[in-house]
Amino acid sequence: MILDLHNHSIKSDDGRARVENYCQWIRKRELPLDGLVLTEHRQFDTESDYRKLEDTYGLLILKASEVETDYGHVLVFGVNEDLQNAFDFTRVDLPLDLVLREARRCGAVAAPCHPGRINVGLCAHYGERGAVEGVELIETLNGGSRSGEDDRALELAKDHGYRGFGGSDAHIVSHIGRCATRFDDEIASMDDLVQALRGERFEAISWKS
Amino acid sequence: MTRAFASVELGDDLPEVQPDVSMENVRLFCASARMPFGRFTDHEKARAEGLPGAIVPGIMSQALLSALVHRWSPGCRIENMDTIFRAPVLVDSKPTCRGVVTNTDPESETIELDLTIVNEAGETRVVGTAQVRL
Amino acid sequence: MEELNLEALKGEWVGVEFDTAEFEVKEAAMVDWATAVGETDRRFTDPDHSDFQAHPTFTTQFVSRRVLPKGFPRLGRGGFDGGKCVTLLVPVRAGDRLTGKSMIADLYEKTGRSGRMIFLVHRMSFHNQAGERVSTMDWKLVQQTREPKVSG
Repeated sequence: MILDLHNHSIKSDDGRARVENYCQWIRKRELPLDGLVLTEHRQFDTESDYRKLEDTYGLLILKASEVETDYGHVLVFGVNEDLQNAFDFTRVDLPLDLVLREARRCGAVAAPCHPGRINVGLCAHYGERGAVEGVELIETLNGGSRSGEDDRALELAKDHGYRGFGGSDAHIVSHIGRCATRFDDEIASMDDLVQALRGERFEAISWKS
Repeated sequence: MTRAFASVELGDDLPEVQPDVSMENVRLFCASARMPFGRFTDHEKARAEGLPGAIVPGIMSQALLSALVHRWSPGCRIENMDTIFRAPVLVDSKPTCRGVVTNTDPESETIELDLTIVNEAGETRVVGTAQVRL
Repeated sequence: MEELNLEALKGEWVGVEFDTAEFEVKEAAMVDWATAVGETDRRFTDPDHSDFQAHPTFTTQFVSRRVLPKGFPRLGRGGFDGGKCVTLLVPVRAGDRLTGKSMIADLYEKTGRSGRMIFLVHRMSFHNQAGERVSTMDWKLVQQTREPKVSG
């Protein structure tokens, strides 16, 4: 099963894609995706209900968040009410250890994304301040990466023994499906995804040319 | 000639264009836009500002994308053009403008496009969307 | 560094119209603009065309006398253009006299490759001499609030 774990819709300040258009695009272009995860910036989208789109297009559509920490951006899968009350998602300077700790406490998974990126990637901050305990999973393939950024991420994962996943980081419709994650097991819900990301039966994949 | 709405399909690619972002052309644009700033029109002055060289003004990048759309469908009317300047496009570089149809609305007969400018390394420098009436 | 209260700033400034300026649309500039960007549609390059008009985003060059309202606090150490969103309502013609009204439409903070930034959305609405609204432009002015540049 292949899921694109990192995408933004018009709910994000810089997102320009409606979720239905992502779905149409996936089907029209026959992309090998079974679903997508929406990771809106600095928020958890409690309003949108994509169940009808899931049925219409036969895709799994899940909601997560991309929060901003002192060690760069972090995707949080499995956001629930407890976690929303644990810290302020709108802040741009959340302590990474707080996000990791609270995510774990609330049954979610927090994973630094695009770690090879300057300023907002883990590598840069590790270089200055050292590694952070509790990081186990990072985005090793990101659709928006520039030259060398994914290489740094892969190296970081290797050096620290982190598991790696992939996501497109799409902000416009045609950028979905550049990177994704292949799971050995069936994923039908956010609970399944969180469970799978805690294990090792997945791999990051890329279709970037 | 204007393209017929019925002939356009979701997923259609617009023909790519390698725009002329030579210094001469950027200076022409800057003069027309009353933007006589060294960061756009002089490599040395741009470097003195910490840039890798002179950069194409964001509003010129946006206008390059409008020209791409008109080339694909002459006579069409761009109703909205929304661009994000993610990273500089360098003057005298060889960028590529791309577009693709991401939605067709038969009720309003409007088309939505994704638009990008990528550099020689394939890195996206400008992303945008447009709503176009054919 | 003193904590910036963005919510208070938004409450005070978002939606407040702070400037009005006039702009003249000149034929030569319209042609040069369109020519420089490789325009192939004669509506934008040929003054003799029956539907000669300014290139769709021509109004993006027009900036108010003030980028920020008088009394607006200094948020960072300079800025750059983060993007432009233009909605076109009526074609702009040679000789038009446009009136542009400015307001702050939004303010928000985020981090990115350029570090910690405040995004200030400066909205300009343009009307022509007949009172028709011709276009609206949202200009995302990015102000860097710190000097991190932490590279990998």
